Amino acid sequence: MRVYQCEDSLEGIFTAIFTAYEEKQNPRDTRISLSEELFLFAEHVSVTPHREKTFKVMNTLKKQFGKEDYLMLCLALSSSHEKKAQAVYQTVAAGLKARCARGHLFDNLADDWVNLAFCLARGANNENQHLRGFLRFQELENGVLFARIGPKNNLLTFLMLHFADRMPLENFMIYDEARGLFGIHPAKKQWYLVREDVEILGFNGTEDWGLSKKEREYQELFRTFCHKIAVEGRENRKLQQNMLPLRFQEYMVEFQ
Amino acid sequence: MEYPEGIKSMPLMEKLGILADAAKYDVACTSSGVDRKGDGAGLGNCVAGGICHSFASDGRCISLLKILLTNECIYDCKYCKNRCSNDVPRATFTPVEICTLTMEFYRRNYIEGLFLSSGIWKSPTFTMELIYRTIWLLRNRYHFRGYIHVKAIPGADGELIRRLGYLVDRMSVNLELPTAEGLRALAPNKHRKNILAPMRMIQNGIQESRNELAVYGNTPRFVSGGQSTQMIIGATPESDYQILNVAQSLYEKFALKRVFYSAFVRVNDDACLPALPGGPPLLREHRLYQADWLLRFYGFRAEELLDENRPFFNVMLDPKEDWAVRHLEQFPVEINKAPYEKLLRVPGIGVKSAQRIVAARRKANLNFGDLKKIGVVLKRAVYFITCCGRMMYPVKLDEDYIVRNLTDAQERIRFGSDGMSYRQMSLFDDGAFGRPPKPEEQLQAALGQL
Repeated sequence: MRVYQCEDSLEGIFTAIFTAYEEKQNPRDTRISLSEELFLFAEHVSVTPHREKTFKVMNTLKKQFGKEDYLMLCLALSSSHEKKAQAVYQTVAAGLKARCARGHLFDNLADDWVNLAFCLARGANNENQHLRGFLRFQELENGVLFARIGPKNNLLTFLMLHFADRMPLENFMIYDEARGLFGIHPAKKQWYLVREDVEILGFNGTEDWGLSKKEREYQELFRTFCHKIAVEGRENRKLQQNMLPLRFQEYMVEFQ
Repeated sequence: MEYPEGIKSMPLMEKLGILADAAKYDVACTSSGVDRKGDGAGLGNCVAGGICHSFASDGRCISLLKILLTNECIYDCKYCKNRCSNDVPRATFTPVEICTLTMEFYRRNYIEGLFLSSGIWKSPTFTMELIYRTIWLLRNRYHFRGYIHVKAIPGADGELIRRLGYLVDRMSVNLELPTAEGLRALAPNKHRKNILAPMRMIQNGIQESRNELAVYGNTPRFVSGGQSTQMIIGATPESDYQILNVAQSLYEKFALKRVFYSAFVRVNDDACLPALPGGPPLLREHRLYQADWLLRFYGFRAEELLDENRPFFNVMLDPKEDWAVRHLEQFPVEINKAPYEKLLRVPGIGVKSAQRIVAARRKANLNFGDLKKIGVVLKRAVYFITCCGRMMYPVKLDEDYIVRNLTDAQERIRFGSDGMSYRQMSLFDDGAFGRPPKPEEQLQAALGQL
């Protein structure tokens, strides 16, 4: 057995997949592992992320399986499951071997690896859909919109894509607390990601930037709205919590 | 436009409070049906599936800024809080106030768009014009590209409705009550004919716009998210069968996207209105929505679900289970062979599960474990399906038995090899009582010493 050890990132995993194919490994006898853990009777190869190899894999996946399934694979990789790399690798290998048509990569749900990749992608996608709605921007004194999130999956890229399309004229910034990542979108420009350890604007994680004057007013207006829009005769707190789990509520202005 | 003095002086907070409160009985709060990318110049885009931004304490989603333009009203509908004979605080938004609120809420990601309805101020046409001005301003001055849903007001000038249709994503005309008699009794100023006329107009507009799009490609789209309506359930004595038939004909004849059902909440004390000691008929509303889904996505017809002899839904079973136990001759369904349409009719299998089953069984035979992974609700489906010719448990296709199991979630199927019948009540029915026989008991049994 051959084990490719790579870092936990899209580049790392895609490079490992590329290397496995480059070396013509039999997928049944190959693993892609994200940990340093050693396997018995296995050859361990360490893989360093490689830009070109990543792009090659990305293009092949898009061409072979179509955009939607490619997005599903990326979503699966955004989860924090330890076997996600192996699941994605096996799914891709099975898909390439069967020459499956576009949009049919995840058809074989009876297969355990495909099923795992599918479940991870579905979970991440659900959280992505939730956050698109539940994320809250607050306007800072300098007019920048700032949002904090703490998702289970690494979804910042997907959220930035969504909000950049939605608000091209705004300066906004999303901070992923769980991973220490910033997504920054300057008005009318391309957005980018920054790690927390990079010094930006004197941010130290705990201290709040000052909010703009109007911000408090609009927060209060929205709270009033949320309160008034509920029909008393139908009150159902349990349903509310089912639809809007507590872990999202701590970031939302109407629950503060 | 001339606004009375008081309108401008009232603080925004108070207005929002009054006009959101007045709009809360409108049910439609979806932002779905339109997929529109941002254009890089304005604010907003639309996602086909819609996005829920929050949930109110009644568990309903908050997707759109749902407000009335004004709660002044010249009509006197008995069920409505804003009727002219009620003494409630009245307020009116100016178009600029609505635009600012929408923009500011939208950029903070509080909402997905605007839902604008209104009481009838002065006349239907006058109110409609105010709505049109507001929406025009929002689209063209504020360059808002998010979702907009407006109410078309019956009796308003047709030209206004036509123009408005090109600015908004969804339009709806409230049917209010399922039948014309009900409407006559509770809403003396409204007439069935007046309600259906704008509905037909919007339908024709959508069709024309589609035909034009087919030829010219880039013409503006008319009400691209489709048309919806809503009716109040439980204020008048209609049966579920009547209501479902009305919904079905609306889908077929008026090509509606959605029909919403609103459990009647008694806000006015009026002799014509029914008393509701148990609160609003929420379960009935829920069953109607379930049946509505069966009509739209599962290929059912209203006549299949209900008929004149049994005009109301079963309280214990959902409409699909209810249909299935009455049609046991069509079951069990073989998962690995049955056509898609048949899979859809199995309780516990939804549209997505059915699609996944059809895709997955091309590659391998499916067993019950696979079905569970695919997302089938086995708790309900198990009585109606086979995998490779076998059922999961030895289940007898018997109406009483299946109903009893479906309605009691706690009850597990326990079939021992001892052939214990499901009909027989026994002290040792529950497996918890079972203890394994001791070795000496086994010996005794073998030697016939019991």
